Amino acid sequence: MSDTTNSSGGESRRGFFGSFSAWLAALVGAVLGVGPVCVGLYSFIMDPLREKTRPRKSRAEGSADANGFYRVASSDEISTDKPRRFTIVADKLDAWNFIENQALGAVYLQKNENGDISCFHTTCPHAGCSVAYEQDSNAYHCPCHNSSFKLDGSKLDVGGSTNPSPRPLDKLDVKVDDDNNVYIRYVDYYTGKHDKIEK
Amino acid sequence: MFGKLYKWIDSRTGIQESLEEALYENIPGGSKWRYVSGSMLVFAFMTQAITGIFLWMNYSPGSQNAWASVYYITYNLEGGSLLRGIHHVMAQAMVCLLPIHILQVVIEKAYVKPREFNWWLGLVLMKITLALGLTGYLLPWDQKGYWATKVATELAALPPVIGGYLQKIVVGGQEYGHFTLTRFFALHAGVLPGLLVGFLVLHLAMFRKHGITSHSSEKRADQMFWPMQVLKDGIACALLFALVVYVAIIHPAELGPPAEPTEPYGAARPEWYFLFLFQMLKYFDGSMGWNNEFVGAIVFPAVLFGFMFLMPFIARIKIGHALNVLIIALTVGGAGYLTYEAVQEDNYNLNNPDDIDSAAYKKAAKFHAEVKRADTEFRLIDELVKDYGIPLEGPLALQQKDPYTMGLRLFRRQCASCHAYNATGENEYLAIAGPEIPATAEGPMGAPDLYGFGSPDWIKGLLSTGENGIEGAKYFGNTSHSEGEMIAHVRDTMWAEAESDEAKQNLVKMIEDVAWALSAEARLPYLDYAGNQDKIQAGIGHLNDDVLGCVGCHNYKENEFGYVFTLDNYASSEWLTTMIADPNQIYSEDLGTSNDRMPAFHSDATKLLTEDEIELLVRFLRQDRTLLGTASPEVNPLVDDASEQENTEEAAESTEENSEEDSDSEASESTDESSDEADEATDESSEEDSQESDAATR
Repeated sequence: MSDTTNSSGGESRRGFFGSFSAWLAALVGAVLGVGPVCVGLYSFIMDPLREKTRPRKSRAEGSADANGFYRVASSDEISTDKPRRFTIVADKLDAWNFIENQALGAVYLQKNENGDISCFHTTCPHAGCSVAYEQDSNAYHCPCHNSSFKLDGSKLDVGGSTNPSPRPLDKLDVKVDDDNNVYIRYVDYYTGKHDKIEK
Repeated sequence: MFGKLYKWIDSRTGIQESLEEALYENIPGGSKWRYVSGSMLVFAFMTQAITGIFLWMNYSPGSQNAWASVYYITYNLEGGSLLRGIHHVMAQAMVCLLPIHILQVVIEKAYVKPREFNWWLGLVLMKITLALGLTGYLLPWDQKGYWATKVATELAALPPVIGGYLQKIVVGGQEYGHFTLTRFFALHAGVLPGLLVGFLVLHLAMFRKHGITSHSSEKRADQMFWPMQVLKDGIACALLFALVVYVAIIHPAELGPPAEPTEPYGAARPEWYFLFLFQMLKYFDGSMGWNNEFVGAIVFPAVLFGFMFLMPFIARIKIGHALNVLIIALTVGGAGYLTYEAVQEDNYNLNNPDDIDSAAYKKAAKFHAEVKRADTEFRLIDELVKDYGIPLEGPLALQQKDPYTMGLRLFRRQCASCHAYNATGENEYLAIAGPEIPATAEGPMGAPDLYGFGSPDWIKGLLSTGENGIEGAKYFGNTSHSEGEMIAHVRDTMWAEAESDEAKQNLVKMIEDVAWALSAEARLPYLDYAGNQDKIQAGIGHLNDDVLGCVGCHNYKENEFGYVFTLDNYASSEWLTTMIADPNQIYSEDLGTSNDRMPAFHSDATKLLTEDEIELLVRFLRQDRTLLGTASPEVNPLVDDASEQENTEEAAESTEENSEEDSDSEASESTDESSDEADEATDESSEEDSQESDAATR
């Protein structure tokens, strides 16, 4: 052990951890240092992982039905010649706020010749940017890393450039009721993975 | 293995030398328990910094968000109550440790030559700690913190010339608002802790330079700081932390109702460790000319602080040290006494229950009533948040739509000078005492207790005699009705004629039925009408047959011979709306005992209440907590509606007229209604209900 400091101390240096008291002091010190941090870290880590409950009297029409479907449009609003963008509107729980009629996300809807409706998530499966339909090429393009998709959602190769998306555009379930209301089962998927995995 | 690793780390970092430098400080006379207070303060601050940063991760300054986010931390955040509790309790522990540390330094003469600078650094640290307490108290933005801090910042305006500017700078403008919170938060979480760390480093550096103050008379051998003093410090800090966690669990940090600039809080008090300053200001009342608020709040503390600053120099003269000890002891003792006195004043009513008529008792009782009122308001907003969540506009927007919160406030302000609201059972927390009713009829009025107005129980009482009945304070009190025909009829006819026990039992049964039948007119949302159909139908029969003599004076359904107000729709929302807006539209002008003195609250002549306010009051009185702007639940008191058909038709027609006048969306509904009315009697009456409440909303 080095003996650089003044050694007027009454007890001889027996090394840093040379006594039981030293070990005990280190232990108590460590516990004290960690204690308050643990209390804070518990909140920091556990709260985001917790299932949040909506207010007791929140209105039923402000959230998805039991199967996760949201009403987005009337089928009359959906065209056959090109996809149209629709916003999912519902009541949103954001930390302490509960806010009615908030945009949760967006989808592209299009009808085929038979009147069947297809629905695509606007989030690019590559890295989560928002894809947009472009009329010139009649395809979906992502503004970030050149991912492009045909109207059926499959990957499109554009003039020699690469298409980094690991999978086609994410298709969502569609339901139409007798009053022409179109419902979408709106879910988010993890991006960057080969398979569609719900968040 | 570990030894090698340690050696490698040490050779690259020099950790061993640093540790030894830090921990091998010689302590003359060896380690002592009484040296722990400084380390405890450092540990307390460290805990505050850590818990504070984690609170910061969930806190949002701003007048819509501050209360909401603290509500979230306290009641929703995983582990949030403990986190906030530790921060809250440790802050108080820190303020308790400060005078202990100071007294110790003074008594042990550790402030004198050559440690002057360390003493001054300590004084600065004390100021910073108190400033942290003051700024932190506002951040939850509840009524308590808001009004207490408001007083503190009002004091900032006291210094001449610069005062006004100073206050605006502190508050962030003319008024309390977003900037007050953003500024206080930046001070509390950034500037002040930063300063504290800076001054603490200097304080500790000075401490290391001069070493611990020991007294040569002690014979014990010297020791190093490590490990024995570290162990003692550690144990003391661990005990402190355990105590703080225990208190934080037993008494979690409170949150009051959200701050509301237009709703004064009569129980505004600073945090307890500032109570002595609060109490002291009461003595600086200007009675002697010089002793005004400016002197009390600013000059006096500044002189005291100046004295503390000069203490190292004063100690150089012969009796200087003794004088210093005396003054510091007097200051600490005086602060303690003032704190005690402030608490005693606020609890005077509890400690002197017999001294009811004294001003001190009344003041303390009012303080406690305000504390209770704040508790009630918090309970109400707590329920609202659980039911509806907090809108973007903040908690006040929710309160202002709530019939209970607003109903209580409006009732207190406009109704309670005559009426009581003696809520019982699970609603007891809503109770409002009415005026004191003197023994004689002369004096202030005691109008009916409106809790449960229109319910069968309330009506049963009205039709009974005695202190709990129509003769008592709960009903006509000291109004002119206490000598009117109604009371005469109930007492001298109804009950006087029922002489035998059997007749009395029969009367009680009939009153029960009639009470339910009348209550059915009120259509109160909290009653089980469906389960009491027998009583309601029997009561309607009694009323139509005039068994109790009601319809001799009152109109009821087809009985239109009466000359005082009709019992149709009695205590319904439209009836109550009319009664509050303009009572003379309900009372008959023909009878001497008509409206005693109830003013019109919303007539052509007076607008004491807005229509929304009346709507809130009406819902409150009907125990209908549907938020303003939302239709009240439909109540259909009659399951089998056959006997009601004719009556409903009339009602449907009248509502149709109303709808046309109001050109509202219900116009289409009532058109449907009139076309279907012949065969769908039940549906009609329920739609009619909804229209009534809609009409009231308008």
